[in-house]
Amino acid sequence: MSALVKMTAKHLDFYYGDFHALKDISLDFLLHQVTALIGPSGCGKSTFLRCLNRMNDLIPTGRVAGEVILDGENINDPRLDVVTLRRRVGMVFQKPNPFPKTIFENVAYGLRVNGVKDRDFIANRVERSLHQAALWDEVSDRLHRSALSLSGGQQQRLCIARALAVEPEVLLMDEPASALDPIASQKIEELITTLKADYTIVIVTHNMQQAARVSDHTAFFYMGRLIEVDVTETLFTKPKLRQTEDYITGRFG
Amino acid sequence: MESRFHQELEELRMMILQMAALTERALQKALQALLERNMQLADEVVESDQEINLLEVNVDRQSLRLLALDQPMARDLRFIVGCMRIAVDLERIADQAVNIAQRAQFLSSRPPLPPHPAMEQLGEVAADMLRTVLHAFVNENSEQAMEVCQMDDTADDLNVRILKDLLEYIGKDVPSVEQSVQTIIAARCLERVADQTTNIAESVIFINKGVNIKHHCQQ
Repeated sequence: MSALVKMTAKHLDFYYGDFHALKDISLDFLLHQVTALIGPSGCGKSTFLRCLNRMNDLIPTGRVAGEVILDGENINDPRLDVVTLRRRVGMVFQKPNPFPKTIFENVAYGLRVNGVKDRDFIANRVERSLHQAALWDEVSDRLHRSALSLSGGQQQRLCIARALAVEPEVLLMDEPASALDPIASQKIEELITTLKADYTIVIVTHNMQQAARVSDHTAFFYMGRLIEVDVTETLFTKPKLRQTEDYITGRFG
Repeated sequence: MESRFHQELEELRMMILQMAALTERALQKALQALLERNMQLADEVVESDQEINLLEVNVDRQSLRLLALDQPMARDLRFIVGCMRIAVDLERIADQAVNIAQRAQFLSSRPPLPPHPAMEQLGEVAADMLRTVLHAFVNENSEQAMEVCQMDDTADDLNVRILKDLLEYIGKDVPSVEQSVQTIIAARCLERVADQTTNIAESVIFINKGVNIKHHCQQ
């Protein structure tokens, strides 16, 4: 791959207690590209995604081995500040999870907890993030209303704006459109395509057509292993391995 | 258990096989009508064409439905796209059979030309190519499909030989010029059958391997 590598997993293993959930995963994430992680439930794709910003640190029985390199630095290094890491590697979850605050305060939240006090700066960043998340036009006249008054699709875009406000470099998305209707889902997909100009994106999705539409590279996981990774078009039209072929054509198990 | 989608793919395969069987029979009858001056067989070929046309429409409808409703991937996707192409080629081969049958109808009503062995050979090559490519499709055999692609040159050579000989013959026997022209057209139809059979072979390779060898554009 000639493009710049933003992030790399090297021989990554993850355990939930005795359960070996991820087995020797090595995978590159290219700068300003979208990488989709696909595979059946329980294959480890979400666990792997959470390894990329150490969300799995929150699991008491969780244990990680191997490296995740972000711009040359191992994020599993205990000396690394996890808050800084999560600012650089943002995350959007399956269900929109806005805080019970105003639209404005949801987006400003990350800046405030990072100690930003300049009101103009915050206002500008909130506006820019809402623009980037393609939500500004729908909410600009009601920024001080509750975020909970928004529709599901708008709430998810608000969560994306909230993630963008702290200017992350990598955006992790865990099934970001699976709880949304087709129109809202399409908006998220279009947003992903726009956002990749500025961010490196990793998306977990159960929807293979969505993976095919939004991603540049697709990685297929099965039973904790990375089975095959390739350029998305190749993986979905001419996969190299039978196991991948069986999964994407629905002949599994 | 086979899914509903995969059962429907199987139905699509059966449609292609049915179309192939009818097309193969039409070509055989057309050849026999031409070589044996059999008017009745020629009539049967012309009549049977509508059934093949309808099957092509059905293949299109089924393929489009599967593409829209199931958004197939990988081999399944290639299979459906391949079937759509194969149906077009089969329908064209059936049209060539009709064209040959119509030449046979005309030629049967005129005094015969001296026999030309290359005509029978060309018919055999075209029919053999079609038979082989259908085996390749059924058995998912790319090597067999590749053999078909290589047989096309023989068909081209035979057609050129027939053309040259008959042009020469026209100079010698002016009253039979119309029979000669009709025979040249029939030979040209057989040469086109060989071309369209080669297209089918390319589709079989596309389905099996995911590579496009059309126009030597191997990727």
